[in-house]
Amino acid sequence: MAEPILEVKDVAKYFGGVRALDGVTLSVQKGGLIGLIGPNGSGKTTLFNVITGFYVPTRGEVWFEGERIDGLNPNEVYLKGIVRTFQIPRLFPSLTVLENVLLTPPNQIGEKPLYAVLRSRWEKQEKELAKKAVKLLRRFGLGRYIHANVSELSAAHIKLLETIRGLMTNAKLYLLDEPAAGVAYDMAKEMFSFVKRLRDEEGLTFFIIEHRLEVLMEFVDYVYVLHNGKLLAEGKPDEVVQNKAVIEAYLGG
Amino acid sequence: MVGVSEVLNTVQMGLAYMVIALPLTLSYRVTQVINFVHIIFITLGAYTVALLGLIGLTNVWIALGIAFLLGGALAVLDNVAVFEPLWRRGSDVLIIMVASLGLWIFYKYLIYAVLDKLFIILRTNTLSVLVRTEGFPSVTLGAVTIDGYLIDTVVTSVVVTLALYLILMKTRIGKAIRAIADNQTLAEISGIPRGRVLNFMWFLAGGTAAVGGVLWALFQTTVTPEIGDQIILQVFSIAVIGGLYSLTKTALGAFIVSGTENIVIAVLHDTFGLPLSFRPFLVFSVLLIVILVWPPLGAGGGLPYRFRIRPRARR
Amino acid sequence: MEFLINFIISWLPIFAIYGILSISLNLEIGYTGMANFGKVAFYAIGAYLSAALTMSVMLSLVGKSVPLYSIEAVQALSTPGTGAIYTHPAAYVGLFVLSLVLAFIVAGVVGYFITYPTLRVGPAFLGITVLAFGEMFRVFMRNYEPLGSTKGLFGLNNPFIWIGNPQLSQGLFALVSLALLLAIYIYAERFVNSPLGRTLRAIKDDEVAALCLGKHVPRVKATVFFIASGMAGVAGVLWTFYQGSVQPDTFVPILTFYVWAMVILGGMGNNLGALLGAAVFTLVDRVLTFAAGMMGPSLIIPPNYLRWMIVGIVIVLVLLFRPEGIRPAKPIKTPAWEAVKEVSEGG
Repeated sequence: MAEPILEVKDVAKYFGGVRALDGVTLSVQKGGLIGLIGPNGSGKTTLFNVITGFYVPTRGEVWFEGERIDGLNPNEVYLKGIVRTFQIPRLFPSLTVLENVLLTPPNQIGEKPLYAVLRSRWEKQEKELAKKAVKLLRRFGLGRYIHANVSELSAAHIKLLETIRGLMTNAKLYLLDEPAAGVAYDMAKEMFSFVKRLRDEEGLTFFIIEHRLEVLMEFVDYVYVLHNGKLLAEGKPDEVVQNKAVIEAYLGG
Repeated sequence: MVGVSEVLNTVQMGLAYMVIALPLTLSYRVTQVINFVHIIFITLGAYTVALLGLIGLTNVWIALGIAFLLGGALAVLDNVAVFEPLWRRGSDVLIIMVASLGLWIFYKYLIYAVLDKLFIILRTNTLSVLVRTEGFPSVTLGAVTIDGYLIDTVVTSVVVTLALYLILMKTRIGKAIRAIADNQTLAEISGIPRGRVLNFMWFLAGGTAAVGGVLWALFQTTVTPEIGDQIILQVFSIAVIGGLYSLTKTALGAFIVSGTENIVIAVLHDTFGLPLSFRPFLVFSVLLIVILVWPPLGAGGGLPYRFRIRPRARR
Repeated sequence: MEFLINFIISWLPIFAIYGILSISLNLEIGYTGMANFGKVAFYAIGAYLSAALTMSVMLSLVGKSVPLYSIEAVQALSTPGTGAIYTHPAAYVGLFVLSLVLAFIVAGVVGYFITYPTLRVGPAFLGITVLAFGEMFRVFMRNYEPLGSTKGLFGLNNPFIWIGNPQLSQGLFALVSLALLLAIYIYAERFVNSPLGRTLRAIKDDEVAALCLGKHVPRVKATVFFIASGMAGVAGVLWTFYQGSVQPDTFVPILTFYVWAMVILGGMGNNLGALLGAAVFTLVDRVLTFAAGMMGPSLIIPPNYLRWMIVGIVIVLVLLFRPEGIRPAKPIKTPAWEAVKEVSEGG
């Protein structure tokens, strides 16, 4: 088995008396396509929030590529190479598609307050990034929309854009929060085969929350099941769907 | 020296602050908008009682009732004419807040202009009015005299707070208000008539704030057009202490601020000779401390960003 | 013609002051989405700093050690012909320039440190904190004896007053103000049409998402606050030298909202719009003052009240019926567009 890229060790997160996460330990292998499922309120999004630095865990540690990352701020976590997408995509409506992509590379020269007004200092880098962005957009079939406003894109394209813009940078691990929510079944399948393609072509790792098990189970290599803030089961997709505890949690929850 | 009068002042001021700040928190929680017209409700209430006294209607309960109706009506008018249209167009809450700011400025100078003319007719040369109204009589207990206005304030604020609590917790419309506060979209899907419920909420908020204005006038005993503006800082600080979310904490904040303004300043004045004019600085310090130490994240929006709270993790 | 020239000369500095203020507010609210309800604080810092600095240095140049607020100080400084500002022109102009630089730095640093801790708690709280800070500053100045408490400081004048010809010195000051405004406008335009400007727009749209894309949102915001507050400080210096004096009660909170009205009317997220807004309001103000002088007390609403009522109602009406203002926000211009073209042409 490949080495783990992300390790969650005994992570707990309490909100007042509510135990949103209560001692979760799991790991994500490099190049893996890992699913995270569980009924509503089982703590999936809270776990993502802990990993990406939205919350500081009450207890436990998060390690990424041999480095401890819990307690870092979300921007620092991103710079380590973890990209997160949201259940409701969060693109920037007052920027064009191209600008949404151009935004992602960190530490651009033209972003420094002193250099921003000196166009000659960053012009070259900006053009290089723009070329890279255009190539990226074309490669994934968004070439027609380069100058379009984000609001002109379809729901599926928005999700696509949110995912691929991480490719501008050194993204290593993707946390996708319900990528197939709100799109038709065919589209959802397409979305996942695209994710698989990214994994195969770019060697990226994916950790995916998904409610639509029928789509998820076809694609992932390994699944973790959360229930009431605890890890209920884990294993290969076909093992997990037959797990009695899992079935009970879903039906009873 | 901190004596009985400071304590009594703290109580009366705190109660007035509470009645003023509670509806601000309520309306923020439901609409996510800090309503600057709130200041006008205070002025409106204060002038209601003052002007009624001037024309010989000196019953404080009548003044409170009229102030409630006027404040509520103004709040509903603002909502129907400005806030709701903006909201329906999908404006950012920041924009709605700025619109309320514009309304505040407009009303403020409208009041100035109207009073200007009114006082030419009444042949007085100042815009300030002495409050003359009657409720409970003053009571003397040994060496301590408890002012009648203080008793009016206690009775009114208890009734108002209790009424607010009962309406929000026990009635159907109160439940609807809370549902909208928790989740707008969900509330609308479940068939709550958002428009009507919000109008009711604004009527309640505006009316309560105007009642608070009456109480504030009773405390100040003189009413000027600046009466609302003078306590913006205090009222906003109280609301921030409440995180603009919790009504209980808002009530607590009212007494923290009024205690700071009466007791803490008196102690500092006696011990360190701090001039009494430094009162606003203390309130500002309270505001800053609250924002720094207990940042009201969540309800007021904000970033999931922490100034380094633990030493950088190492391997 | 004479009238028109005089009018323009007296209007231009006011336009420049409010133009700078509205460009700086536009950087904050129009581009970055930060609600600054306390612009006036940084304006006041610039004004007070320049007055205190210039007056104390000029007084020590003529060997007088009297309190700044005293009548002796006023006499020593501004007695026509023999006052320090007439006898030491080079020092006077030098101090004007130094004030501009220092005011930018001091107001900027204060802005940075006031806002950095509050930036994470959401726009409404930031606005209220800065509003409170502005009021604090004013209350402090009202009670601070060495800087004249409620009466403020007097005794300064136009930095070119020593020339002798009032029209010439005022004209020169108008030109200097206009040049500063132009420089700040160009700076702001370049600032926002850059990768940084793109980040600012992103923060305005969704600061949490920007944070998740690795942008150090608090630092970027505080930096913008530094620059915008510094600009307001520069405007404050211009005000001191235009007015010749500073009083604490000039810097009431409503002044901030006057600038807000300009930005909203002109168009949030458009620097030229902010300038237009400033021009419209300062002109209307002049006309109102002029009309009030002509009509006297027969005017139904006193002009001061009318002016603010207009400010309030303009904010509301523009937001209701033309939220984008006179000039809507433009897309960001960076060379990325040219690069895209090159790629397209190259196949």
